Amino acid sequence: MLAVAFLAFSLFRFVGDPITQMTGVETSVEDQERLREELGLNDPFAFQFLRFSGDMIQGDFGFSYRTRQPVAEMIASRVPATLELGVVALLISLAVGIPFGVYTALRPRGILTQTILLTSLVGVSVPTFVIGIILIFLFGVQLGWLPTFGRGGTVQIGGWESSFFTIDGWRALILPAFTLGVYQLTLTMRLVRAEMMEVMRSDYIRFATARGVPMGRLYFRHALANTMVPVITIIGLQFGGVIAFSIVTESVFQWPGMGLLFLESIRFVDIPVMGVYLVVIAFFFVLVNLIVDLLYVAIDPRLRVK
Amino acid sequence: MKQTFKLSASIGCALLVSTVGVSAETFRWASTTDPQTMDPHAVNSAPVLSFLNNIYEGLVRRGQDMSIEPSLAASWEPLVGENGWRFNLRQGVTFQNGATFDAQDVMFSYQRASNEAADVRSWFAPVADVRVVDDYTIDFVTTAPNPLFPDSIANFMILDQDWAESNDAALPARDAENFATMNVNGTGPFTLASRDPGVRTVLTPNGDWWDDATHNVTQAIFTPIGNSATGLAALLSGEIDFIQPIPLQDVAQVEGRDGFKVLEGEETRVIMFGFGHEHEKLLYSSDVTDANPFTDPRVRLAAAHAIDIASIDRVLFRGKIEPASQLVPAGISGYSEANSERPAYDPARAKALLAEAGYPNGFSFGLKCPNDRYINDEAVCRAAASMFAAVGLNATLSTGPVRDYWPQLRADDFDMYLLGWSPGTFDMEHPIRFLLNSQNDEKKLGSWNFGNYSNARVDELLPQIQQEIDPAARQALVDEVVSITQDEVAYIPLYTQPLIWAAKDNIELTQRADNFFMLRWVNVN
Repeated sequence: MLAVAFLAFSLFRFVGDPITQMTGVETSVEDQERLREELGLNDPFAFQFLRFSGDMIQGDFGFSYRTRQPVAEMIASRVPATLELGVVALLISLAVGIPFGVYTALRPRGILTQTILLTSLVGVSVPTFVIGIILIFLFGVQLGWLPTFGRGGTVQIGGWESSFFTIDGWRALILPAFTLGVYQLTLTMRLVRAEMMEVMRSDYIRFATARGVPMGRLYFRHALANTMVPVITIIGLQFGGVIAFSIVTESVFQWPGMGLLFLESIRFVDIPVMGVYLVVIAFFFVLVNLIVDLLYVAIDPRLRVK
Repeated sequence: MKQTFKLSASIGCALLVSTVGVSAETFRWASTTDPQTMDPHAVNSAPVLSFLNNIYEGLVRRGQDMSIEPSLAASWEPLVGENGWRFNLRQGVTFQNGATFDAQDVMFSYQRASNEAADVRSWFAPVADVRVVDDYTIDFVTTAPNPLFPDSIANFMILDQDWAESNDAALPARDAENFATMNVNGTGPFTLASRDPGVRTVLTPNGDWWDDATHNVTQAIFTPIGNSATGLAALLSGEIDFIQPIPLQDVAQVEGRDGFKVLEGEETRVIMFGFGHEHEKLLYSSDVTDANPFTDPRVRLAAAHAIDIASIDRVLFRGKIEPASQLVPAGISGYSEANSERPAYDPARAKALLAEAGYPNGFSFGLKCPNDRYINDEAVCRAAASMFAAVGLNATLSTGPVRDYWPQLRADDFDMYLLGWSPGTFDMEHPIRFLLNSQNDEKKLGSWNFGNYSNARVDELLPQIQQEIDPAARQALVDEVVSITQDEVAYIPLYTQPLIWAAKDNIELTQRADNFFMLRWVNVN
């Protein structure tokens, strides 16, 4: 995470000048210089970085150049939106991707399989924002069924602002979550399909078939469970990506999550927010990898025997 | 087809009504940028000032046609025997927390807004002293005669002294936020009901407003929507009532649908090309590396004659721009009627001028442009580059986001550049002060004159223009500046940028030329 902070911080020198964004056109050059001095932007790079990481280790995330709010508070208030979006996207991709993957593996030559596989190509190849905009215009503008932007009704539970407890919140969640999950969905499906086909050819399945194990039990208990280890690895690692790259989806749906905040911050050269965001994302990646490792143990009994 | 659309639209509306419970006068609007702060003195930027003008008020305010009218000052007159203005304050005005407004609040707001921590302090550069005469009279003494001072403080908003001091917000927030960043207490027509920065801000009418409300809004909800396609979809799906601005290419989309309208006007922003007047050589040329041909006015005039504004208008702007002859558009005070001709599109003359200046085969140079600041900025530069090339001026175009662009211009890293300028005071003096006067950090002049165009006579005329009380004499001085700078082609003014907003048909509102959106002129029918 320190490495990420360092990389991010060295890149910030090239994103532009925060001072010209913070001041109006009429502000004199002298006042701009004074502000630059106050913010410590004239200090040497190493010094700025040490101050940034030092403050962060002490839990002081600084203040946004744009809104002057504490960065920790700004990011914390945006985390629920992004996490809920990411989790729902993941659930959609699993709920749809796994059954489809199993089906297409078991009936490799069916018409439905061919249709699903063909459609899934679209999911992989069309960029997220195009899918998002198409969905908005179809379901939001033409049909008027779903809201086109924002989170709809949210409920405050502790410090967590959730969309899960109102119908309005769920309605607002469907399109962005689907958009974000589409790539994951096709990936899950193709992965499950490939693994499943592999497993179905293996000896123990043939053996089980010969022994007369019921089909349902065979497919789901024996075959699918064994396909899940690599699937979970990939999906788990992808989930970090879902959180990190929800930026595009959040921008298209004006979804008030961390990604949107990051985008606004780039436009404004809000260095403190950008820095903390990247470190938080790095933290998520580490966390997700840890969870994936723990899940292995739960799924694969071999790892429990030592 | 149309029938189905209407049907589905009405189902959509019904769903909205049933789930959200929108009352008839709830007004929802969106814009690309969220105001960064609710503090009227912390940031001098249009999104903030425009938004806060609904909540706070100044001594004077601008009407629908941009004219100055009384607000918290009922009247004002020049001081007798010294330079400056006396403001007679309106009596019986209260802040939204019930406190009474008086001259002490104006004094306090002046001190707050002119403090080093305030970004708006440049407005008070001409002020020498401020005196409270009595509870409802206050004098602003200026260092020199200043006929435009009342106009220049239309966005100077008044805070309640007790409220600010008791909440530790006596100064605008510099690094950390303070109470005034998220809370308000103005005298204006609306007050803040809730704020979630970057997500949603809700305003409700101030029932005790001193002026007669002409709007019928009972609740106004503002959402920033950064992505223009999302904003358009939100309007067309009926989730918002109004959006500013919409991209030019979406105009047809909105006009083609029932129940929506596009509002078009001219912004006051003039787009122009600037030169590196004081550069000794070109930075980005492959053939002329030991000189800067643009120091020759004939070369600059040749560049001006090479531009075909009519084609740019037709192809890039669908006929929505107004060609510009000078740094402000017609209608702004100080606009020089005597100099309203711009150099005609005349490639033959451009070539002749280049030959005369010693460049019969032209030369190459670098043209810098922003790509996210003005409408179609990059496309305009591309078009201009090909027009320049037609007369032998081979521009190497480099474009970038505005956050990189200003630092490059400040570092003199250009041969020619694109700039847009909107006169903050709505007077010609503003661009003369910032763009035409020689750079002078000490006097804070010419701070956006990146190429440092410098003419001793222009520098001499600026203080006279600032101080001249007689309108006709003042106009003569302005005319002289415009005439000099046109003769010397200090800049190539191109056009005035259009202002395009979109709303539902049942919304009545006023589009003001400074792109400010005032809720007090909104009616939901």
